[in-house]
Amino acid sequence: MNIPAPSNQALSTSGAVMVVGGGVAGVQAALDQSALGYKVYLVEKSAAIGGVMARLDKTFPTNDCSLCILAPKLVEVGRDNNIEILTKSELLSLDGEPGSFTARVKKQPRYIDEEVCNGCGQCTLYCLKQIGDDYNEDLRTTHVAHIDYSQAVPTSYHIDPKTCLRLNYQTCGLCAVVCKANAIRFDDQEEILDIPVGAVVLAPGFGRISEEVLAKYGWGKFDDVLTAFEHERLMCASGPTDGEILRISDQKHPKKIAFLQCIGSRDETCGNNYCSSVCCMYAIKQATLAREHDPDVEITLFYIDVRTHGKGFDAARKRAVTENNFRVIYARPPQVEDVFDGGLLLTWADDSGKHHYEKFDLVVLSQGLEAPDDAEQLAAAAGIDLNHYQFAATNSYTPLATSRSGVYVIGAFQGPKDISDSVTQAGGVAGLCSGLLAPARNSETVAAIFPPERDIAGEEPRVGVFICHCGINIGGVVNVPGVRDYAGTLPNVVYATDNLYSCSQDTQAHLVKIINEHKLNRLVVAACTPRTHEPLFQATMREAGLNRSLFEMANIRDQCSWVHMHEKEAATDKAKDLVRMAAAKACLLTPLLEQELPVTPSALVVGGGLAGMTAALTIADQGFECTLIEREQRLGGRTMLLTQDRHGNNPRQAVKELGARVQRHPKIAVITRAKLSAISGYVGNFTSTVVVFDSDPTTDSKDNTVINHGVVVLATGGKPYVPDNFAYGESNRVLTQIDLEQRLDREKPLPANCRQVVMIQCVGSRGNDLSYCSRICCGQAVKNALRIKEISPKTQITVLYRDMRTYGFMEDDYRKARELGVIFTRYSPERPPVVTVSKGGRSKPVVKVFDPILGEELKRSTDLLILATGIEADDPTALTKLLKVPVTSDKFFLEAHVKLRPVDLAVDGVFVCGLAHSPKSIDESIAQAQAAAGRACQPLAKGSIIPEPIVSGVDADKCIGCGACEKFCPYKAIQLYKEDKRRKARTITASCKGCGVCAARCPTMAIDMGRFTYDAILSQIHAFNPQGA
Amino acid sequence: MATEYTPHILGFLCNWCCYTAADSAGVGRYQYPPNLRVIRIMCTGRLDPSFPLEGLAGGADGIFVGGCHPGECHYQDGNYHALISASLVHEILKRIGIARERFLIDWASAAEGPNFVRIITAFTKQVTELGPLGKTEGKNQAELLRQLTEAAEAARGRKIRTGLINASRQMMKTKDFSRNTIATLVQDKCVKALDTWHEEAVTP
Repeated sequence: MNIPAPSNQALSTSGAVMVVGGGVAGVQAALDQSALGYKVYLVEKSAAIGGVMARLDKTFPTNDCSLCILAPKLVEVGRDNNIEILTKSELLSLDGEPGSFTARVKKQPRYIDEEVCNGCGQCTLYCLKQIGDDYNEDLRTTHVAHIDYSQAVPTSYHIDPKTCLRLNYQTCGLCAVVCKANAIRFDDQEEILDIPVGAVVLAPGFGRISEEVLAKYGWGKFDDVLTAFEHERLMCASGPTDGEILRISDQKHPKKIAFLQCIGSRDETCGNNYCSSVCCMYAIKQATLAREHDPDVEITLFYIDVRTHGKGFDAARKRAVTENNFRVIYARPPQVEDVFDGGLLLTWADDSGKHHYEKFDLVVLSQGLEAPDDAEQLAAAAGIDLNHYQFAATNSYTPLATSRSGVYVIGAFQGPKDISDSVTQAGGVAGLCSGLLAPARNSETVAAIFPPERDIAGEEPRVGVFICHCGINIGGVVNVPGVRDYAGTLPNVVYATDNLYSCSQDTQAHLVKIINEHKLNRLVVAACTPRTHEPLFQATMREAGLNRSLFEMANIRDQCSWVHMHEKEAATDKAKDLVRMAAAKACLLTPLLEQELPVTPSALVVGGGLAGMTAALTIADQGFECTLIEREQRLGGRTMLLTQDRHGNNPRQAVKELGARVQRHPKIAVITRAKLSAISGYVGNFTSTVVVFDSDPTTDSKDNTVINHGVVVLATGGKPYVPDNFAYGESNRVLTQIDLEQRLDREKPLPANCRQVVMIQCVGSRGNDLSYCSRICCGQAVKNALRIKEISPKTQITVLYRDMRTYGFMEDDYRKARELGVIFTRYSPERPPVVTVSKGGRSKPVVKVFDPILGEELKRSTDLLILATGIEADDPTALTKLLKVPVTSDKFFLEAHVKLRPVDLAVDGVFVCGLAHSPKSIDESIAQAQAAAGRACQPLAKGSIIPEPIVSGVDADKCIGCGACEKFCPYKAIQLYKEDKRRKARTITASCKGCGVCAARCPTMAIDMGRFTYDAILSQIHAFNPQGA
Repeated sequence: MATEYTPHILGFLCNWCCYTAADSAGVGRYQYPPNLRVIRIMCTGRLDPSFPLEGLAGGADGIFVGGCHPGECHYQDGNYHALISASLVHEILKRIGIARERFLIDWASAAEGPNFVRIITAFTKQVTELGPLGKTEGKNQAELLRQLTEAAEAARGRKIRTGLINASRQMMKTKDFSRNTIATLVQDKCVKALDTWHEEAVTP
């Protein structure tokens, strides 16, 4: 044949990835992939990225300001040279093979040139035609020429072609006249782009419940029936009412609000039998915020089940309900009616069948998440299969892979989920794409270039102070203009201003401009916390040509406005003090040299269960060496306790196959019967000592192995809780769900003539022993109930539960179980079931429980009693001591940020996944392990790190060579050397972590710390007193 | 009575535990009295013994130092060295005749927002009860401030700091981190230096 042989795989692999959808999942996937060395095309249907998260006021369970934590990410995307944002674009088709696809994208015109528009807003001001403001749920209007929201990225306006007078009727055109930048393009045309990419990630988010369903609850008919999205906008400072919850009908503050759950979810009549997973929690959040807005408002929440199954959710819910005195009613009012004298009437029946009716001022519909409206179209374009609810079809063991190889799915399109799970999946998909395209890493990326740093030596301090309103988070408590004016009077402060959101992209551009215009050489931002936002502002300083160490933050939100919400004056005084102290410190900051350090391109994974093995494989597939250590003789972990998943597959088989792949992988070294005994170093350069016990368990001889690695992934797992109540251990008829799993795998799983099985939920969980919800037990109970029904359809099964938490598509199983006659009886924690067994435990256990529907106590003699016992963390104490990473009060590792850094720990270079993070299902563990692997490979892919230059430095003239610093340094980062026969100390910068013990102990004060110098702190102390020292 | 007295409290919080706990208290909207002004340091081990003295000399009625729980220091043992510095501060306060309750060193982990709030609320109450510097002490405030300034200067001096080095050394050797032992160590190792300073500065 004359056709040339195809070039080898490495050469034909593309180093680019396409992400479809610019919500938080897509944004995170883009950032993570860029950090791993791949070019990203971020395709967004609307005119700006940000998605639903950008419309939220707050996020649960911490009620953190949504846009404040999202905006820095949006800014980062906008600023990343390796991410190309394609707005008003959609995927038309996808041809080719994994590694070398051609994605055809249709890009609709914006009619305003993105490159030229400077976001001044004149076009909106002069635009004659008003349209509904979609960002604000049409609760207010905007203009045809507009920007979706003020922090939007790209920071560029656009024209709605459907309503523009000029485009439709050849009139007006005022915007073109007033646009000083000449950015208006009425002749803008639709473009068709063919983009070569190696992989595609679908992250289109979710669709809205149809208006038809909402109309059943009076939405559209009654002004004061709002969707949760509308309510969210009303609560938000940047919303249609500037953050006031006002009734649409009379612009009054509602005094009685009802939240109706499961609108468009768990509802067979609208075709959505699944549970949307997030609404129970967001309703709690909205109720809490409504109470914050108006302490007198009465709140009632109507639930079928309270499904707050996420990490820390139950605790947050409990606290919100008790502190705010919310009324929680287990009922589903079927409709909303109006009454003659105003107000909205709800009618419901309680458990005992008694009817109630009551009037409310405002009804909020907690609407569920649907598959996107254009799911079928997108599926056809990408060539993937959908499930029966039109979400992307995936498999438990490859949760992020679609039916087409090389095409992945993350976020709500994979199944209804919250932000942190979406962000986790984004991290996971980055790891997977990076594995698929490893040969082409860095082939299509460019390095970031910053302007050279301005030399400020000899300049007097010129401090600029920026005070953030943070919407109403700060501005609602602290008198921000007052603080701004005060800041302007401080010594060396030459510029002071305030911003609605200091972290938005336009503010960053503004900061650069101001720094240059006013020749600022120090920057103080008074806003949230440096722990989350310092890097953002420091990057902005670099863009303005300033060294990033010339920056100081005053924490006037987390440590001021949020904790003194009812003391406005005192909070304002405190904010002034903090700004004064920060400015005083800033004056003494000096530029610090930054050092680039090489990275050991390998990883250590601790724990050889499902999560650990998945993480190891995802790391190794990306081309990095990985050592996997496991305490037991064999890999596999506790997934081996399960015998069937809800789809009928055998998890043990899947784990065995995974284990075989791990053992075979040339880049993975597996060490079993091994334990981490010591670790030193820092991200990029860890050295660990692993104790390996003899494989013969009868001897206790052991060996030490030393491993150098750049990152650590903790996948130490969890264990089943062992109950000491409900007669467990007293009868062989009392089993845990895990025991039952084993039994159901046997030849004769059930006792002969098994008539009755009773299951008790939340044994241990949500109580005194484990204070949290173990998340998976409800699903497991339903799954096992169905397995029993299949083996023995006549067996009567009763499940005693508190809230059935079969979230997501597991709701299908719950429905099926009820259809097959499984009886579900709710018990309250105050009246838990009582179990008695005869002595010796031979006869059948007897379960007594109060049935709220019958209003009387039920007594069941049962052939088997099954306890759902929940998951405990494997004791993390040894690891927390070694790695200095925090854990929650429930002993799960505490992630760096619950929403946006769900697999990172507070220590750089250390990641967590699986049950060590919190209880979760198989597919969730796998996605999280892939995420940990994806995140962990970022420093490895980069090849070097630049540590924070907060290290110690020795003034050799003052040093007397006493050696105290060398003695006390925990990192051996200070060494003595001889100079002219005299002993002197010096810092080994790469090893120094900046604790400052050396400086505090130096007898001659010859040692000082970068950014935390003695003089700078002293100046901060002296500025503590408004009169000065 | 004049308007209610509100104390000025200066805090030094370590970045990894107590500062994070303070942030998480904010995220959880746990309310506490608005008297605390925080200086972030990477580790309480950075706490120069002169810092709290400078703070009191500069007008603070109380000083709080917050770090990681013992054994949980992000940098291994910085909080133990902080206990050495803190013991010196307490010793100096004793010699000047200032209530030791004006200076507190305590711990809250990153996950303990509510614990941080409890500590600060209690400390604020405690300092409020003590009143402005000099009140509970029954001493002239200006005189106390002068002595504090001199004490801070002494804490920067080589003699006291050498004593602290010896105390830290001994502590690391015996691995006894109890507050009492550390206080005795510091008293013991710094006694000469403190006597010299005390004679010069305090005795008129």
